[in-house]
Amino acid sequence: MAYVIGPACVDIMDRSCMEECPVDCIYEGERKLYINPVECIDCGACETACPEQAIAVDRLAKPEHREDNRRFFTEPLPGRTEPLGTPGGATGLGPVGVDTPLVAGAAS
Amino acid sequence: MSVLTDVPATTSAADVVDTDILIIGAGPSGLYGAYYAGFRGLRVAVMDVLPQCGGQISAMYPEKPIFDIAGFPSVRGRDLVDGLVAQAEPYGPVYLLGQRAVELSRDEDGHPVVRSDTGTTVRAGAVVITGGVGTFTPRPLPAGEDHLGRGQVYFVPDPTVHTGHDIVIVGGGDSAFDWAATLAPLARSVKLVHRRDRFRAHGATVEKVRSLGIEIITDTEVTGLHGAEHLEEVTIRHRLTKDTRTLPAQTVVAALGFTADLGPLQNWGLELQARRIAVDTRMATSLPRVFAAGDITDYPGKVRLIAVGFGEVATAVNNAATVIDPEAMLFPGHSTEKEN
Repeated sequence: MAYVIGPACVDIMDRSCMEECPVDCIYEGERKLYINPVECIDCGACETACPEQAIAVDRLAKPEHREDNRRFFTEPLPGRTEPLGTPGGATGLGPVGVDTPLVAGAAS
Repeated sequence: MSVLTDVPATTSAADVVDTDILIIGAGPSGLYGAYYAGFRGLRVAVMDVLPQCGGQISAMYPEKPIFDIAGFPSVRGRDLVDGLVAQAEPYGPVYLLGQRAVELSRDEDGHPVVRSDTGTTVRAGAVVITGGVGTFTPRPLPAGEDHLGRGQVYFVPDPTVHTGHDIVIVGGGDSAFDWAATLAPLARSVKLVHRRDRFRAHGATVEKVRSLGIEIITDTEVTGLHGAEHLEEVTIRHRLTKDTRTLPAQTVVAALGFTADLGPLQNWGLELQARRIAVDTRMATSLPRVFAAGDITDYPGKVRLIAVGFGEVATAVNNAATVIDPEAMLFPGHSTEKEN
């Protein structure tokens, strides 16, 4: 199980969730944030922190975005050859600066 | 007993503890392991960096109902923790709370010796690591930590030491609201400051605090702690209007949540996979006499649930029992055969 960030985050990226996450598993794309489903410990701290209410537990999240959050880590992002995988913390990695094709192509 | 404010009476500050099994991590897996060790007639000690039992449950979601514990269609987090503590209690586990396990060494017989950051040394026949996501560290107050130990605290293990104080509690989670309610009858004043206008705490807990007449100041951050020796006052600033106020305070409780990482365990020579400890089917790690159970373990097909942690820790403790005493049976017997 993991929490999932939905489309309400696109172009907002408030980042309050990143301050709350105890395991630093929320990663920053260019237009949206993504929760690493392998690193998430399912505590729910991010859900209430989000002013956009963009975050939901995976079983209640839109399947399309549940899959898209996973793909951000398991498939190579545009312009990259390797997937992100499990970097073990967003702070050390810094903003990734790229989005999944679904988010990159979303209407602004 | 409340998991957020009370420490079991067996807390020991002894410098040297001899035990059969040392459990590192007082979350649900560790507490159940304490029961299991006791059930097997083994002496058991439980160490945890937090000053309270329950691990992630107490730190992150004490009020959440949990729906996947066998036999309980729904159980509130703190009630599960209280039940686990009560289940282990007849066997008198030694709780070493508020202590971080920092170093693993060996005695002359090759038995594990674990040292804590507060100076306790534990000699054990075997160690069972039930460390979950790792060691919790309280999030620091952005205004600074200059007054730590001089009025600034992260936890309230003994509310009575704050009797008569003006108290400012910072945070919006269950711990912040629980401590507000607990301290209200003892304190001269209690104010709760939170940087947002929404709270992570359970709605009923928030209502209880409101009903006690505690002032809840939202969208506001603490910007300074003042007092030459001991804390005397704090300044706060509204995030939008930038208005500042000064509040009298002899105690400020920073309840801003936690960060977690594996911490010192990473340097113990354990075989790790990503940020988890590799174990075999006995829950044995790569180190002799060191076992692991619960969320911290990894193996192919691992499922991270409390239910799985219960099973793993029973496996770990029973296998540890046969290492401590090679004559001991692996199977502990059925609890129904034992009289209490």
